[in-house]
Amino acid sequence: MEKSEVKARVVNVITSILEIEEALVTDEANFIFDLGADSMQSLQLVAGFEEEFDIEMDEDKALDVQTVGHAVDFIAEYL
Amino acid sequence: MEYRNLTNNEIVNLVKQGCYCNDWSLIQVPDAFNTDNIHQARFEGKIKLGLLKNSPSGSSGIYSSFIKDCEIGDKVYISQVGKLEGYVIEEEVVIENVSSLTVEGETSFGNGIEVEVLNEGGGRELLLFDQLSAQIAYMMVTYRHEQKMIGQLEKLIQRYSDNISSSKGKIESGCRIRNVRTVKNVNFGPEVRVSGAQLLEEGSIVSCIEDPTIIGDGVIAKNFIIHSGSRVDSGVILDKCFVGQGVRIGKQFSAENSVFFANCEGFHGEAVSLFAGPYTVTHHKSSLLIAGMFSFFNAGSGTNQSNHMYKLGPVHQGILERGSKTGSFSYLLWPSRIGAFSVVMGKHSANFDTSDFPFSYITVEDGKSTLTPAMNLFTVGTKRDTEKWPNRDRREDPHKLDLIRFELFSPYIVGKMIRGSEILQTLYDHASKKQKYVKFKGISILRLLLKTCRKYYQIGLKKYLGEQLLDKLELGTFKNLTELRSYLKPNKSGLGDWVDLGGLLAPQEVIYQIVQDLKNERIKDIEQLQSRLKTVYNNYEIYAWSWYADLLERETGIQLEHITTEQIQELLMLWKVNSLKLNNMILKDAEKEFDQNSTIGYGVDGDEAINKADFSTVRGSYEENKFVQSLRAENEEIEKRANRLIELFENELV
Repeated sequence: MEKSEVKARVVNVITSILEIEEALVTDEANFIFDLGADSMQSLQLVAGFEEEFDIEMDEDKALDVQTVGHAVDFIAEYL
Repeated sequence: MEYRNLTNNEIVNLVKQGCYCNDWSLIQVPDAFNTDNIHQARFEGKIKLGLLKNSPSGSSGIYSSFIKDCEIGDKVYISQVGKLEGYVIEEEVVIENVSSLTVEGETSFGNGIEVEVLNEGGGRELLLFDQLSAQIAYMMVTYRHEQKMIGQLEKLIQRYSDNISSSKGKIESGCRIRNVRTVKNVNFGPEVRVSGAQLLEEGSIVSCIEDPTIIGDGVIAKNFIIHSGSRVDSGVILDKCFVGQGVRIGKQFSAENSVFFANCEGFHGEAVSLFAGPYTVTHHKSSLLIAGMFSFFNAGSGTNQSNHMYKLGPVHQGILERGSKTGSFSYLLWPSRIGAFSVVMGKHSANFDTSDFPFSYITVEDGKSTLTPAMNLFTVGTKRDTEKWPNRDRREDPHKLDLIRFELFSPYIVGKMIRGSEILQTLYDHASKKQKYVKFKGISILRLLLKTCRKYYQIGLKKYLGEQLLDKLELGTFKNLTELRSYLKPNKSGLGDWVDLGGLLAPQEVIYQIVQDLKNERIKDIEQLQSRLKTVYNNYEIYAWSWYADLLERETGIQLEHITTEQIQELLMLWKVNSLKLNNMILKDAEKEFDQNSTIGYGVDGDEAINKADFSTVRGSYEENKFVQSLRAENEEIEKRANRLIELFENELV
């Protein structure tokens, strides 16, 4: 899968779970500090990515992911 | 000790010293009696006086007091007591500046008093007595379907209370009772310290040399038992309450129809019909615990529950299983039941049952009560709590009443994790991807999280499967595989569901047997019941091992009596990987305590550098944090322990 497609789908998951404008979802945006994700939403994001891409991410490594760009790279490794 | 009447000389001396008695012939004294330290005393009724000589350990004597129908031991000091009536006072007791300390008529000193615990509307009445444990209380309060057993238990407790009943009270050796207003029908155990209490009525203060009980300023207590090592002070009001061993109640806390077992703490707030199992803690004003059963619980400020909706009265009840917490201003509507080690946040106006889902977050999302199963499995709080409880056991009394198991991953909890996993799988299989939520027993779960939360339970389960074996292997000695298999072979006790019997984790079938034996009157007295429960406590490891062996076979097909070295290595590897994973997730959670959001409000008048400097001065750094360091050290230890045994089975034991 092309990275651009991964990114588009990642952005889609983020905007839907966090209920935020797409414009805020930049590569550098930090899920917690910039996008306002709380602990519960962080779990939902992990679950959302897994469902969107039909993958199973490593639980503790997934919690290391802090920015949108990192999430795209991390998910790409599973595809 | 031999007693005699007072001599004429002694009576003359006593009268010279301002003493008065309308019938001196009713006073008996030992041979070596001396009148020197008795001044301004008025005696009435039958009196026995001990040797009231000063000793290096303190003054003794009777000064400015009215004594009626009492036996007073050696080296006792009584001063400024308005009325002291009906007591047997043992040696080296001090009673000073007390308005009234009396026994009036026949009393059982708080034993046998009926208390409406858990359900304020009644139906679960518990009989208080000074040998009550969390386990006996649990059986009596929650096993109401076993009416014959309840009747038998009541009979045993009543018989015990009748044996205590007397028209004479006891103040046992070494007690200090000072500056107290009114005491009526209260027994005092050895070394009790009472200072400044206002009113104590119909009760027993149990105590021991190893763990004295302290009652402090302004306490008003009626119909109570207060146990060894406890401290009740600072304006506390108790009515119909049992205060167990090592409990702290203070700062104007008030409680009625409530029981507090080992190591509970209650400050500021209020308790009504509360079953506070071991380690129930409520510290804040505006916190009400009502009609609920709790244990290993921490109440956030403003915690509240409703047990009626102005319909048939206060008839509802609730349970928060062990290890749960409520956040600030959380509200629960009874009846509800919260699974073990869960966190409740927000205001919940629905009735739900999450007992199949330990380690959950219960929050309000989109206006709905929402369950996130297993989320609390990898939080710092859970890890810290389970480590701190055993270290905070304050009880020094050699006779510990409550039988408490502290294990986090016990058959009770793991059984629930398995059940929770199965339910999540079923809900996932039946949910449509269009659904945002699924509903289970009155609470919503985000559909998206069904699979994820199930995975978290599985991490815990895998850790458990390896850890039990690892612990057992480390404890054993075996030369070859045959010896090892024999060592690992379980018996068949402890299978099936487990229960948390007021802090005692036990197989349900074993408790059921005790219930049957009570019903059939094979348990004849309280002592026998305590002994049976103690045996269950002592057999925990045996039962837990059998349960584990059965689970291992069901989950992996491995039978311990036929286990191979390869299978052992696989299980150890499973433990290592999942223990590290879980700890790493906890470390990530701990990291949040040091992130950018945590620094808000630090360095109040400065720039970013000052903000950081202030934060690191006050809070330290993540890297230096003791908890973080200990968890990292634990990770290293996990690697070492697993690798050592894996190597052993690779090279030596084949």
